[in-house]
Amino acid sequence: MHKEAGERRDFLPAFAAVLERAGADRIVLEEGYGAGVGAGEAEYLGAARRLRFGTLEDCLAQNVVVVVRCPSEDALERIRPGSVLVSMLHYPTRPARVELLLARGIVGVSMDGIEDEGGLRLVENLEGVAWNGTREAFRKIRERHPHFDHPDRRPLHVTCLGSGRVGGLAVHAATRYGDPRLREELAVKLVPGVEVTVVDFDLTRHEDYLRTRLATTDLLIDATHRLDPTRPVVPNRWLADLPEDAVILDLAADPYQLDLEPALVKGVEGVPHGDLDRYVFETDDPAYDALEGGVETKNRRVALSCDSWPGLKPRRCMERYGEQLEPVMELILSRPADTWDAAGGSHIERAVARAEVARWAARA
Amino acid sequence: MGGTCLSFGFPRMYREAGERRDFLPPLIASLASTGCDVVAERGIGSGMGFGDHDYLAAGARIGDEAAAYAQDVVVVLRSPARFDLLNPGTTLVSMLHFPTRQSRVAELVERGLEAISLDSIEDDDGTRLVVNPRAVAWNGLEAAFQALSRTWPALETAERAPARVLIMGAGLIGKHAVEAATKFGDTFRAAWYSALGLPGVEAITVGRNLTGCERYLRARLSTIDILVDATQREDPSRPLIRNAWLARLPEHAVVCDLVVDPYLLDADPPTVRGIEGIPQGDLDRYVLPPDDPAWDRVPSGIPTGERRTVASCYSWPGVHPRECMELYGRQLEPLLGTLLERGGTRGLRADGTPLERALRRGSLRAWIERPADLVVV
Repeated sequence: MHKEAGERRDFLPAFAAVLERAGADRIVLEEGYGAGVGAGEAEYLGAARRLRFGTLEDCLAQNVVVVVRCPSEDALERIRPGSVLVSMLHYPTRPARVELLLARGIVGVSMDGIEDEGGLRLVENLEGVAWNGTREAFRKIRERHPHFDHPDRRPLHVTCLGSGRVGGLAVHAATRYGDPRLREELAVKLVPGVEVTVVDFDLTRHEDYLRTRLATTDLLIDATHRLDPTRPVVPNRWLADLPEDAVILDLAADPYQLDLEPALVKGVEGVPHGDLDRYVFETDDPAYDALEGGVETKNRRVALSCDSWPGLKPRRCMERYGEQLEPVMELILSRPADTWDAAGGSHIERAVARAEVARWAARA
Repeated sequence: MGGTCLSFGFPRMYREAGERRDFLPPLIASLASTGCDVVAERGIGSGMGFGDHDYLAAGARIGDEAAAYAQDVVVVLRSPARFDLLNPGTTLVSMLHFPTRQSRVAELVERGLEAISLDSIEDDDGTRLVVNPRAVAWNGLEAAFQALSRTWPALETAERAPARVLIMGAGLIGKHAVEAATKFGDTFRAAWYSALGLPGVEAITVGRNLTGCERYLRARLSTIDILVDATQREDPSRPLIRNAWLARLPEHAVVCDLVVDPYLLDADPPTVRGIEGIPQGDLDRYVLPPDDPAWDRVPSGIPTGERRTVASCYSWPGVHPRECMELYGRQLEPLLGTLLERGGTRGLRADGTPLERALRRGSLRAWIERPADLVVV
């Protein structure tokens, strides 16, 4: 049930063992499951005795369906009423999906909505977002920078828009070129490192300031979480001040929704929206042309954008999700959804109950 | 939580007067609701406005210090100075810092105590589960900006340039320091300044590959309003910033110390602070102007000639005790629940659930049984 060819993520055999330990009577995996993460059928069959392979229909017919990215509308229609769907469901930005789940009587549990009382997500891979994106961006800079490995070059300048969780991780990653081994390699050669400057909305809204900053930037990172996604943080015309050989990295991965009124745009205007099949965009990429008419793309730099950065390292990502989901699945497999207590119970029970679609919709 | 019957004790801490933290009633209630006997020391929570009745309502019994220490599991945030109130076989759950407190480890073993060090409870990825790096960063930056508003009145004028904060270190604390810096260490201050139309903050972060570059660093210091040490040095016997370099900082600049490494000149090799010469503060006094007597208490032989106002606190999270303990309580609740389910530390399995594995990693047993070639940095 993969959305694009580059999507290689499936849960690992260790997760099947977790499900069996947690009391699953029957575990059905879609034919070919795990191929993208290098896990073969034998590994899964060895991990759980009550596991078998079947068709997509078989999988959708189970009491609990677990898949990282939300199934298509068509597949959702085929999940049985009363079944639990554990997936990245993104309720706040997908109202039609919420309606469909409620109408079909599917017990959605949104992986991205499982949060503790402090608002901290319990199932996430923001580290994968920041590190994978930053690593790819520095790869591109290294390709283009004639003196990248030279001890006499100046420190590289990164400007990061946004200081939230992704921004903080991006800072960490950027000071290490997104690649600890590269960092060590360059440190041995005494190559100066990276200076990362983070600016928030109280500076990004000042055109003079930001354009001056852009003029000295080698890598511009969008890690913003905008309150108003109809307005870019960096209008395309400001990009004229960014050096020609600079690179833009889109970690926010906000999609364009040009059919809405007002239209939703990316934080850095004119950057194409990428996915796991295609996430590096040279300035002559046809993806820019596809935006013409709705979005200004006159000023272009090499840009990197992906709507699923963690998917670049699928195995690592799924190890992490598997570990994070273990206590969640223990709860789901031990008790029916209507007994989950959002106010009492363990911290996991409260968090899962809050992420259940009907309770979420009632609050919203 | 499970039903195994362990009793829990929550003694108070007797440190500096500014230490006001105790575990809060919701954590006590979660344990008491399982039927466990929970004893809280009389006066617990008084530093944060709670009374004994709040703990009674949560299901605890109130007792004296000795009673709180006489339970199966004793939970106290900072390590007790003495262990003589603990019975052999008791499990002490506290910030015990096994790697750097060899004499403490020896005494725990000698007294036949079990222990779980809160600072060593880590998941399979090595992430600490009871930790408050956000409070370290935010409380430190809040104090630093408060100090800056006094040393640099221009901070509150619209004509100034963006404030510049240089954060050395991009790890867990450095990451939070970035966010805190961009908000002036205080979201209320940030909203107020924003409403006045004041320019924001440039939070500049550098890692090891620039903090080791003297030419860069000396040039950068002259442009900085707040210098933040959030480093984890590979070699703590050498400072990153020599005291003489502080002369490059503007007179109004503030040094914000989030690392709080001590001076340990007798250790082999000795430990010195990342920014040479700065004094260390505590919860009673954490903003130290250049004429503060704390500078005179820096060990002799350490140069202190170049001085700026310093914000330093041995325990930054304790500056806002209630928020700190709410977080620790939330983090500890599932862990104590797991300890209860397993019937105590002896029941923790290396191949158990993720929380069980994490607890086991934090135990004194695991620390003692660690592979001999394990290098602790």
